[in-house]
Amino acid sequence: MTDRTAVVVGGNRIPFARAHTAYRRATNVDMLTAAIDGLAARYGLAGHRVGEVVGGAVLKHSRDFNLTREAVLGSSLDAHTPACDVQQACATGLEATIYIANKIRLGQIDDGIAGGADSVSDAPMAVSDGLRRALITANAAKTLPARLKALSAIRPADLVPDPPGITEPRTGLSMGEHQALTTTRWGITRQAQDELALASHLNLARAWADGFFDDLVTPYLGVTKDQGVRADSTLEKLGALKPVFGRGEGATMTAGNSTGFFDGASVAYLADADYATEHHLPALARVVDVEVAASDYTLGGEDLLLAPTYAIARLLARQGLSWQDFDYYEIHEAFAATVLSTLQALGDETYCRERLGLDSALGEIDRSKLNVNGSSLAAGHPFAATGGRIVPTLAKLLHQRGTVDGRPARGLVSICAAGGQGAVAILEAC
Amino acid sequence: MSERVVLESAPDMVRMLSGSMVRGAVRKVSGRHPQVLPDRVVELSMAEDAGRLATYARVCGFAVRDLVPATWIHVQAFPLQLALLSAPDSPFSLAGIVHVTNSMSLLRPVSVGERLRLTSSYGPPREHRRGVLVDMIGEAYVGDELVWRGVSAYLVRGGSLPGMLPEQQPDGVVLPSDVEVAADAVWRLPAGLGRQYAAVSGDFNPIHLNPLAARAFGFPRTIIHGMWTHARVLAALEPRLPDTYRMDVRFTKPILLPSSVRFGAERTGDTWTSVVRPRSGEKSHLVASVLPL
Repeated sequence: MTDRTAVVVGGNRIPFARAHTAYRRATNVDMLTAAIDGLAARYGLAGHRVGEVVGGAVLKHSRDFNLTREAVLGSSLDAHTPACDVQQACATGLEATIYIANKIRLGQIDDGIAGGADSVSDAPMAVSDGLRRALITANAAKTLPARLKALSAIRPADLVPDPPGITEPRTGLSMGEHQALTTTRWGITRQAQDELALASHLNLARAWADGFFDDLVTPYLGVTKDQGVRADSTLEKLGALKPVFGRGEGATMTAGNSTGFFDGASVAYLADADYATEHHLPALARVVDVEVAASDYTLGGEDLLLAPTYAIARLLARQGLSWQDFDYYEIHEAFAATVLSTLQALGDETYCRERLGLDSALGEIDRSKLNVNGSSLAAGHPFAATGGRIVPTLAKLLHQRGTVDGRPARGLVSICAAGGQGAVAILEAC
Repeated sequence: MSERVVLESAPDMVRMLSGSMVRGAVRKVSGRHPQVLPDRVVELSMAEDAGRLATYARVCGFAVRDLVPATWIHVQAFPLQLALLSAPDSPFSLAGIVHVTNSMSLLRPVSVGERLRLTSSYGPPREHRRGVLVDMIGEAYVGDELVWRGVSAYLVRGGSLPGMLPEQQPDGVVLPSDVEVAADAVWRLPAGLGRQYAAVSGDFNPIHLNPLAARAFGFPRTIIHGMWTHARVLAALEPRLPDTYRMDVRFTKPILLPSSVRFGAERTGDTWTSVVRPRSGEKSHLVASVLPL
């Protein structure tokens, strides 16, 4: 049982679309179903009972408590395929991958699908607490007068709907506001952020032009390519944008170097290595190890979006690897400044000693190995769909690379998430 | 050689519907009406409306996919049927004709972005114990490729037309009026469903919208469009179907709104047989069969 290996067979996603555009009429279930169906078509899974399908959404309707199972039932997979939902904000897709990889390695399943979907266009809108309580009380009331009394408690202000929260409940700050604090703390410049954003667009545009995504993406509702990518982006254009987060000197974060709102869905297909061989499935990369961490951003003076640094430090120690031992780094671009402050923190002696408990800084990495085929700034970031975008992308990159210095090519995925959390995984080429 | 009428845009269905009903009333008084089916093909090229398809999917229970369900193409072709049926030289009016069977084949997957060329024409009339069956043949092409074909059979009560063929034709719908299939799933049809489906399909026949109009045509309340029920059954089966299939439907009893009905389906070999029944009661509302092509 312990010698089982979980490999990434491949993946599928729908192109990511700007919110309120092409997918505005599609639900999370629709999009996740489309992603699964495309995967099933690619790997001949129609009518096949997959070990388990795991997925989730960040902006989730209460009626979608079984989002993933509903998507399975609407897909061409065998209806005997079980499913469950997970949610870890922007790390949902990677946490789902971890769940599937672990079950495969434990011998509980032979294959599994991990992913997620998110729609800003079809976001849930809740009624206010006042209206909700009045309705619940009225519903529970046994007599008409009691019902009317409950309803009479409704005030005009209660009729204002309650949109999904965009701030951290314990700090009252939005994610951008949190990152702005981190950006200032680490002295990340506007220029550095814009350069990273530009690289993301140019890399993603080149990858699309090269056909890299041909076997990773299935068109949906007339969209054939990620809508966010701007092949014609320049530092001048990015430099002309007004800051949207931060104040004064620290106001460096713009709509160009922060992710916008997108709709989309993605899935990764994983299997036991032997199972993949027996079933003539490709094995792109194996899941080496994973680590999830959290930061004390509420009272501990830590950064909301730097939780992945804790995960990276622990993971490297456990694997006996150095921060430089990777051929590809996939660091989710929630904001350009998130990636830059993550890299800076890992290269900072004080941070690594005091926060991460290391003997010394992890050092610098070769930036040419970072997000080589673009990341969230260009592709867009439908929250729960980002993990399922990155994992197959990295697995394919590693597989194409093959070996480096006689060892399998090695890559690292790092995704920060709301709530001060971060999920990290190491993959190695098969 | 058939007369070919190429429409520039989708005809106004409400106007056709009301015009035909008025004409029917006039003819009832005058007792005069044409005696033959016009030999005519109506044609319309159109781009599909992804937004409308999404609403259609929501109303009928389909997932919003890149590929369209067969019934959606029927909805696109329906205005052409109406154009034929409501023409001044049509031997009958829309009031009082009953949609009895439908058969449609999706011959290759059609995606929402494709431009369709739709045609509609009459098939040869067929005998029926209660009148005459009139087949409306619809075809959808992408370029010159036939991608969808549908035959809708309407019963004209008490009617008769020259050149009628026997009711049963090779390749026709052979479904019985009921099948032995357990129906346990419950669908709850709200009172406003007829209006919702009318808005997205363009079929504003008043029997689906207004209780008084429904009563004028002999129904105690409004009834849901048979094509909604047809689509709902397809939506339930769609995840199990390949990309190409033929679906036959027999509409056996209208469904009053609001109501709850039961649905069930069984697979024998490759063929799905399904039925919709009243919540309490056995006589079917609709029976259907779907087989892969």
